[in-house]
Amino acid sequence: MSTPRPRGRPRLSGSSEVDSTPGDTTITRIQRLPIHNRYPLTPSRLTTTTPSGNRSASRYTPRARGAGAPSTPYGLRAMQRRAANTPGRDRRKSFRMQRETTFDILRNLGRALAPTSEAIRSSPKEEPEPEPIEEEIDEIDELDREPAIERPRLSLPIDESPEEEEGGSPEMRPPRLSLAFDEEDITVEYPRRATMDQDRGRLSMMSYGGTRLSENFGDLTQVESESEGGASPGIQEGADDTLISQGAFDRGGETEDLGRFNIDFNFPSPVAPAIGDDVGEPLNDDGFELDAVDINEGALDMQADAGSVSSADDATGGFGLDLNLPPRISLSQSPGLVGGGLRDEQSEPGKKQKKLSRHGIPVPNLPSGVVRKLAMRFARARVGTKAKISKTTLAAVEQASSWFFEQASEDLAAYSKHAGRKTIDESDVATLMRRQRHTNSSTTIFSLAQKHLPKELLQDMRLAMPP
Amino acid sequence: MAAQQKLYPRGTVKRIVKAHSNRSVSKNADILIFLDYMLFMQELMREASIRSRKSGEKNVSASSVQKVTERTLRKFKG
Repeated sequence: MSTPRPRGRPRLSGSSEVDSTPGDTTITRIQRLPIHNRYPLTPSRLTTTTPSGNRSASRYTPRARGAGAPSTPYGLRAMQRRAANTPGRDRRKSFRMQRETTFDILRNLGRALAPTSEAIRSSPKEEPEPEPIEEEIDEIDELDREPAIERPRLSLPIDESPEEEEGGSPEMRPPRLSLAFDEEDITVEYPRRATMDQDRGRLSMMSYGGTRLSENFGDLTQVESESEGGASPGIQEGADDTLISQGAFDRGGETEDLGRFNIDFNFPSPVAPAIGDDVGEPLNDDGFELDAVDINEGALDMQADAGSVSSADDATGGFGLDLNLPPRISLSQSPGLVGGGLRDEQSEPGKKQKKLSRHGIPVPNLPSGVVRKLAMRFARARVGTKAKISKTTLAAVEQASSWFFEQASEDLAAYSKHAGRKTIDESDVATLMRRQRHTNSSTTIFSLAQKHLPKELLQDMRLAMPP
Repeated sequence: MAAQQKLYPRGTVKRIVKAHSNRSVSKNADILIFLDYMLFMQELMREASIRSRKSGEKNVSASSVQKVTERTLRKFKG
C-alpha cells in the first residue's frame, strides 16, 4: 500500500535504511556539514529534500552506493513499479511515512545538537555602550573609529511582540463584499463590446483594419449611446431596402453619417448630448420620434412647473418641435459646428452626395460601371459563365471598394511619409503589395500586372518602374 | 477589346487616393494602385461567392459581400 518514495529511497544506502531510524540517518548526514552545525536555526537548509542536496549531503558517489540501488533511472523506475505491485517488506510500514515527519527529524536534530539551549535573546535589547564624549574631533576620524556595524539579527523578537502590537500597524480591514452598482454611476464601465462591434460596422473607414476595440476606451459617449447602438441592427438589416429605394443616397452615406456621430463626440461640442442623440441619426425616424416624445414630456413638466395651465398640450407640442428641429438642421448643414471636421458630408439630401475625406478633400466615387465590370469578371470566374450582380450587391461592393481605397491610401501616405517624400511613388505601392503578401520571391509586380492589366497600362507601368 | 481599352478612369483613381492621403500621386503609381484594387476585388468576390455558395444562393448576394468585406479588408491592410 505504501507508495515508495520516488527519489529518497534509492538514494539511501539500501541495506542500512531499514534498520536505522530516519532521524539518525539525517543527523549523521548533516553532521558532516560544518556549516549546519554552526547555524542550527535555519531549517530550510537542513531539510534537503532535493536529490542534488541529498547527494551532496551524503557524499555518495554512485558507485559507492549500496548494491541494491539501481544505477539508471530505468532501473529505478522498474524497482518502483515492482514495489508498487508487490509491497514486499514495506507492507508493515504503512504508517511509517506519517511518523517520520520533517518536524520529527528537526526535533531529533535539535536534541542531538543542543541538549541545553537557551532562548535566543534578540540583539537590539543590548544597549550599545555610550561612547566617551570627546569634543572637537574630525568627522572623518570619528567615522573611522566607529565600531563595525553589528550583524543583522536573523530572528524575530517573539517575546517583544505584545509590546509592538499596540504601536504597530493597524489591523487589516476585512475585505469589502461586492456591492451592486448604482444605476447612475457612470464611472463604472459597463460591458459594451457587443455594441462596439455593431458600431464598428457602421463607422466610417478610419483605417478599418487598424482600429481596435480598446481605442475608444473610456469615452462615455459610447455608454450613453447604447440605446442608439441597440437600434442599429434594424438599420443594418434594412440597409438593403434603403439602398434600393434611395439610389442617390447609397454607398454608405447613411452609415458614414451615423459614424460621424460617434467620432464627433470625442470633441468638446457645445451641444447637449440629449439633443445630439437626435442629431446623430437624422435618418432613423423611430429613434427621433421617441426622443422627441421624451423631450416633449420634459417640456411638459417644465411648463407644468411654470404654472401655465391653458392649452398645455398644444403649446408643448409646438414647443417641443421647435426645440428639436433647429439644432438638427443647423448642425447638419453647417459643418463648422461639428467638431474636428472628420469626414463630413456636404449634406443636402436631395443632391448627389460627395464625400469628403478626412483631409477635407472631396472624394469622387469610382464609376459603378467599372466596379460592376470588375465584380462580374471575378465573380464569373468562380460561379460559372452567368454571373449576375444585383444592385444591392453592387452597392455593397462599391462600399467595400471605397473602404479599400481609403485604407490603401492611408497606408500609402504612411509609407511615403516614412520615406520622406511628398508624393506617393511606385515604390510605395510596391511596398504595400509586398506587405499584403501579393508579391514575393516568385511573384513580381510585373507578373501580376501581366495577368490583370491591359497592354497599354502595362507599358506605362514598365516605363515607370524599370525592373 | 474596346471594353478593355479603357479599364478604368485613371484620373478618378488618382483623385481618390489623393483625397484620402493628402499627397500627390506620382505619374504612373495609380496603375499599381488599381492593380492592387483588382486583386482586392478578386479576393472579395472569391470570398463572397464561396460564402454565398455555401449558404445555397445562386448568385453573389449583398449580405455575403458585406460579411466578407471586413475580413478581406484586413487581409489587405499593409
